[in-house]
Amino acid sequence: MSAPPPAGGSVPARALTYVDAERTLALRTDYERKETIFERPPELSSEDLGLVEHWQARGRPHRLPVGESVEGYGVFTFPYGPVTMGVPESGAFDIRTYGERVLELVPEVGYKSRRIASAVVGRVPADALLRVERFAGNFSASHAAAFLGAVEVANGIRVPEEELWTRALAQELQRVYNHVRLIARVAEAASQNVGLAQAHALAEESLRLMARTFGHRWAFGAFAPGNRFRRLGPDDRRALGERLRAYDREFASLWELFLGSRTFIDRIQSTALVSRADAIRWGAVGPTLRASGVAWDDRLRAPSPPYTDLFVPLAQGSEGDALARVLVREEEVRSSLLLVEQMLDRWTSVRGGEYVPRPPVEPGRGIVRLEAPSGDLVYDVRLADGRVAALGVRTPSQVNWPLFALGMRGAVFTDFHFALESFGLAFADTDG
Amino acid sequence: MSSWVERAWKKGIVTTSYPAEPATEEEAPPSGRAPQVADCSSFAAFAAAAESHCPTRAIGASGLDQGKCIRCSRCLPSGFRAAAELEAASGGRSSLLWIDGVPPKSTAAPAPLAPIGRSITVFLMDAGSCNACNLEVLALANPYYDAHRLGISFTNSPRHADVLVVVGVPTAGLVEPLKRTYEAMPSPKAVLAVGACAIDGGIFENTPGLDSTVRSVVPVDLFVSGCPPPPLAVLDGILRLAGRDRTRSGGSP
Repeated sequence: MSAPPPAGGSVPARALTYVDAERTLALRTDYERKETIFERPPELSSEDLGLVEHWQARGRPHRLPVGESVEGYGVFTFPYGPVTMGVPESGAFDIRTYGERVLELVPEVGYKSRRIASAVVGRVPADALLRVERFAGNFSASHAAAFLGAVEVANGIRVPEEELWTRALAQELQRVYNHVRLIARVAEAASQNVGLAQAHALAEESLRLMARTFGHRWAFGAFAPGNRFRRLGPDDRRALGERLRAYDREFASLWELFLGSRTFIDRIQSTALVSRADAIRWGAVGPTLRASGVAWDDRLRAPSPPYTDLFVPLAQGSEGDALARVLVREEEVRSSLLLVEQMLDRWTSVRGGEYVPRPPVEPGRGIVRLEAPSGDLVYDVRLADGRVAALGVRTPSQVNWPLFALGMRGAVFTDFHFALESFGLAFADTDG
Repeated sequence: MSSWVERAWKKGIVTTSYPAEPATEEEAPPSGRAPQVADCSSFAAFAAAAESHCPTRAIGASGLDQGKCIRCSRCLPSGFRAAAELEAASGGRSSLLWIDGVPPKSTAAPAPLAPIGRSITVFLMDAGSCNACNLEVLALANPYYDAHRLGISFTNSPRHADVLVVVGVPTAGLVEPLKRTYEAMPSPKAVLAVGACAIDGGIFENTPGLDSTVRSVVPVDLFVSGCPPPPLAVLDGILRLAGRDRTRSGGSP
């Protein structure tokens, strides 16, 4: 059992405690046999159902403190944001400092709240989807897949397996985009301008692949409830496979150059440390959690088709610093490309198959967890008369802010961008 | 060090030749495609069939409002077809209303930055977007678009900016920051509203709590439609503000 949250701190009720975090360490990936080994059978447990207390978007800016405020001689608050190009989104930070080191950092979120969770109430799922996929544009495939999955569980709709594979394909392509862009952002912070341009170009290429495959650079409108909106023909799949192999080679050679750059590695090594204990106590998710040494990936831990049929390599670090997080993401770019390759190889074998979703926890209510690029994404949808009656969303950015705040304690100002980018946080994903 | 040079050499030049040459299919991808009527003599019939499918009420008897359109493609089965026209997708607010489904003959918008001309500094303000528009605007800095070759650069402070690019629907917390950002800019200045959310709210129009539009807060000079618009549409919008776009300069910016 993980340690209880610290008294006085504001551990949110939504934080997920990893009851069996010790045991999940037994997970390991066997590349030769092409399998990732579990100690316990993956199934949705009562612990997962505890996630129903969701983040409540308040529709106005609010602070997310992680404990008592720091006081002392010469300590003042340095406000950063909400309008700044250093962070290409609108959100603010209160930085407590005496001028050199960051003693405490309090993220202020909610500036961008569009209250999507309440805006979709009373709408049919197809109309709600238009808003849900615009929750966070760069994670749109994950949001759409989670919402549609929850609607299908709530309704008990059978889904063509090919549709699930298509959704997973979009998610993996978007994961590649997000991770490559994150590496570009870290390179930008480190003033690695050649590396930045090269990584930026690769990110653009992944968007173009997405546009070619799904008809939209951000996969908006690529899916619809229950049925397949866009079919991937054999020509689409062949072209995608060829381009991805070239992409893989290019990414690998670029990463080799980054690894050889001392200035790049020095800036992110031991920056913004998140200890394993903190990661577990604050309920970190995604690459942030895995970089701190906890082997938890929803594609393995709570898998849904097609991940149940595929070899999903586990990317895991142990140091918990920005370097470890970047390394985990770099490995995940490769594993996502490998997953897409497996899917393309076996595409024809799923034709005509149907997936029967598991029974809902209660009639008309579906809960889906899946691994978005920045971590565990939960959608809890209640339907009444074919319309959305309530929507609860818990996104990876919402739960990972406290880890960023903890990691920045004691860091110098210039570490800010390395630290922020390495967590892959998005204000849009937080506020909704 | 030398290996970086070798890599850059091998990669070659990937930068687009827009606006000297028209945009290719790859550069103006389907996410930038606005619906267009296949046969304008029968617009009324198409509109009647498609009106009920349109989630943002962009299609009506009076015409097709590109500013409201989020490119969801739901109207396509009713007879609309997609059209990639970067230049037609931006302009003043009234020029985005395509009466009878055809673009207005003259979309020449005023060029408030014509006195500045060749060096344009851009500040990006996120007023409540989903991130897609932000990332499409910032993509102008990547080697595929390289806006810097046209004298366009991004700045980190509104006090150094000529153009304010606004993305997203103004949320309660960002109306005031948007106003103050605009006021902090020196003259001459221009505002470019990018994306359906920044034009009329897009899919979030009429959402409780989102009562403002960008143009109700700051004066907007030019609108770029799309959800999100592709990077070249944003680039074209910025060039238009300086009177250097393709339609006006015939490809020699």
